[in-house]
Amino acid sequence: MTRLALRSLRHRSTAFTATFVTVLLGTALIGSFATLVETASGPVSDADAESLTIMGAVVGGWGALIVLFSVASTMGITVRQRTAEIGLLRTIGGTPRQARGLIRSEALLVTAAAAAAGALLAWPGGRALLAMLRSGGMIGDDVAYAGGLASLGATAAGVVLTAMVATAIAGRRAVRGPATLVLSEARAQTGRMRWWRVAAGALMVAYGVGLGVVTITVTADDPDPYAAMQTSGSASILVGLGLATLAPVLLRWTGTLLRPAFGGGAPGYLAAYNTTRRAHLLAGVLAPVIVLTSAAVGVLMLVGIDGRTMTATPDAETETINLLNNVVTGMITLFAAIMVVNAFAAVLSDRRLELHRLHLVGATPDQIRSSVLAESAIVAVAGVALGLVASLATVVPFAVARDEGVVPDGQLWLPPLIVAGVVLLTLGAARAGLTRARAVPVR
Amino acid sequence: MNHHPALAVTGLAHTYGEGPGAVRALDGIDLVFHRGTFTAVMGPSGSGKSTFLSCAAGLERPSEGRVTIDGNDITDWDEDRRTRLRRERLGFVFQGFHLMPYLTADQNVALPLRLAGRRPDRRGVAAMLERVGLAERRGHLPDTLSGGQQQRVAIARALVTDPAVVLADEPTGALDSTTARDVLQLLRDSVDDLQQTVVMVTHDPVAAAYADTVVFLVDGRVAGRMERPTADAVAGQMAHLDDLVVTR
Repeated sequence: MTRLALRSLRHRSTAFTATFVTVLLGTALIGSFATLVETASGPVSDADAESLTIMGAVVGGWGALIVLFSVASTMGITVRQRTAEIGLLRTIGGTPRQARGLIRSEALLVTAAAAAAGALLAWPGGRALLAMLRSGGMIGDDVAYAGGLASLGATAAGVVLTAMVATAIAGRRAVRGPATLVLSEARAQTGRMRWWRVAAGALMVAYGVGLGVVTITVTADDPDPYAAMQTSGSASILVGLGLATLAPVLLRWTGTLLRPAFGGGAPGYLAAYNTTRRAHLLAGVLAPVIVLTSAAVGVLMLVGIDGRTMTATPDAETETINLLNNVVTGMITLFAAIMVVNAFAAVLSDRRLELHRLHLVGATPDQIRSSVLAESAIVAVAGVALGLVASLATVVPFAVARDEGVVPDGQLWLPPLIVAGVVLLTLGAARAGLTRARAVPVR
Repeated sequence: MNHHPALAVTGLAHTYGEGPGAVRALDGIDLVFHRGTFTAVMGPSGSGKSTFLSCAAGLERPSEGRVTIDGNDITDWDEDRRTRLRRERLGFVFQGFHLMPYLTADQNVALPLRLAGRRPDRRGVAAMLERVGLAERRGHLPDTLSGGQQQRVAIARALVTDPAVVLADEPTGALDSTTARDVLQLLRDSVDDLQQTVVMVTHDPVAAAYADTVVFLVDGRVAGRMERPTADAVAGQMAHLDDLVVTR
C-alpha cells in the first residue's frame, strides 16, 4: 500500500498541497510556542515558568483544535474527490480495509513530511519568539532558550496524530458505499444533516451565548479585570464554530432568502438554486468564512476595548494576554483563509464536468463565470452576516462588562474593514478556483 | 419555413495532434440532413462518430471543411457566437443525460430558454413535459427520477427551443432495452409529429432501426448508406463493414 500511496501522491501533488501547507504552518506555529514550555522547565524563576507554560499551553490547545478542523476539511475534500477512483479500486478486488489503508498511507506520508519541515521552522521560530518576549519585558532577561527535540518532537507527533484522526474520519466516509464503477454523479443532496451534527452545532452556539451571559451577570463584577475577558473571549469563536457546523442548513436559508435579489438573469438563477439545493457543497466554503469573520471581529474588538478601559500602564500580564489573543486570532484567520481558498478550488474542480455540461447546453463562458461568482457572493454575504452575529457574543458582553455599553466606544471601523477583506478573499478564491478548473480541459 | 437543409457538412476533416502521432479522425465527409428526417450515424469505435458530432455541433472546430446549420456557415464563428447558435438552433441528447442536478425537471427543460435570456413560457415547458409523459414529475429533481425519465426530460429540453436539428449521442447507451425503446419512440415521434430533424450517433442496430436512414462511418469516411433500415439488416451490415470499405 505504501508504494501505491507514493505513486498516487506523485500524480496528485496539487491535491495534497493544502494538507501539506496546513500541517506545515500548524506545526511551525504550535512548535514555536511549545519550545517555550520546554524552556520553562529549565533554570528560570517560578513566575517566568508560569507565563511561558500558559502561553505554550493556550496556543498549543487552540492550535491542535484548528489543525484538527482544517486537516479534517482538506483531507475530506481530497478523499471525496477520489470517490470514483476508490470505487474502482474496490471493484478490482481492493477491500474497504485496503482502500482505507491507501488513504491512511498517503496522509501519513504527507503529514509526516510537512510536520518535520514545520518542526525545523519552529526551531528558529521559538528562538525569535523568546527573544521578543524578553525584549518586551514579559519574562526575565536571564531566561535562556532551551527548546529542542522534546518539545518539537512532541509537537510534530501530536500534529501528525491529530491529522491521522481527521483522516480516519474522512476515510471511513469514503469507503462506506458499495463498490461501483458508475457514480451517480447527479446527486442533489439537500444538505440535510445528521442529528448529532445539529446537536453539536446548537450546543456550541448555546455554550458561546451562555459565556456571554455569564460575562454580563457574573464576571463583570469580579475584582479581577480579566475574569470578564476569560469568559467572553472565546464566546464569538464558539458561536462561530457552532454556526459553521450548521452551515449547510444556514446556506440553504440564505440562498432562498437572496433568490429574489438575483433577478431574472440566468447566472444568478443558477447560483441561487445551486446554493439552496446543493448546500452541502458550498457549506465547506461557508464554514471557514463564518469562523474567520467571527474570530477576527470578536477578538480584535475585545483587545481594543481592553486597551481603552485599562487605564493603568500595561504590565507583563496584560501584554502576555494581548499577545496570546493576537496570536490565536492570527492563527484562526490564517487557517480559515487557507480553508476558504482550498475548499473553493476543490468544489470547482469537483464540478468541472457539470460546468462543461452547462456549456454544452448553451451557457457562454461568461455566464458560467458569472454564475460561480454569484454563488461565491451568496456564500460571502451569508458568511460575514453570520460571522458578525457570532462576534456579538464576545463584543457586547465584554463592552458591557467594561462599562462601554452595548456598543463599544471605539474601533467601529474595524468590522467593516474585516468584512471587506473576507468578501474579497471569498470572491478571489472563487475566481482562482475557476481559473484552475478551466485550465484542465474536459474531454 | 425555409428551404435550407437543417444541417450540412462538406469536406469535413479533423486531425487530432500533430506529426507522426497525429490521428485523422475524420477524412472528408459530405452529408446533408434535410428537415423532418431521422438519421442514424453508425460505425465501430474509432470510426469518427463522436468527432463528427462534436464538429457538427460546433463544439470543435474542424481542421478542414465547412459546417452549415440552418443555412448559417458556423465554421469560422468564435466560441461565443457558436454557443449562442447552439442554444437557439440545436438540441442535444447525451448518453449521460446531462441534467443539472440542482434544477427540477421543468427548470431543466426551461434552461436553454433562460440561458438565451428569454422568459420561459410556462405552458410551452409544461406541454413539452406532457409530450414526454412526465407532466406529473415536473417538480422532481433528477436524482429522484429513473434513467429513462431523466433521458425523457433531456429530450424535452432538446425540443423546447424548436431547434433546427437535434443531435443525439448514444441516447440509449445507459438505458435498459425497454426504456430505450420508449426514448427512441419519442425521438421518432418528434420527427413525425413536429417535423424535427434528428441526427443520432449509435452503435446499436435496434436504435438505428428507428431512423429513416443509416449512414455508416469507417475510418473517418462515409462507407455506405441504408434507407428504411431494419435491426437485422443494420446488424448484418455492421458485421461486414470491411466489405463496404473494399468495394468503395
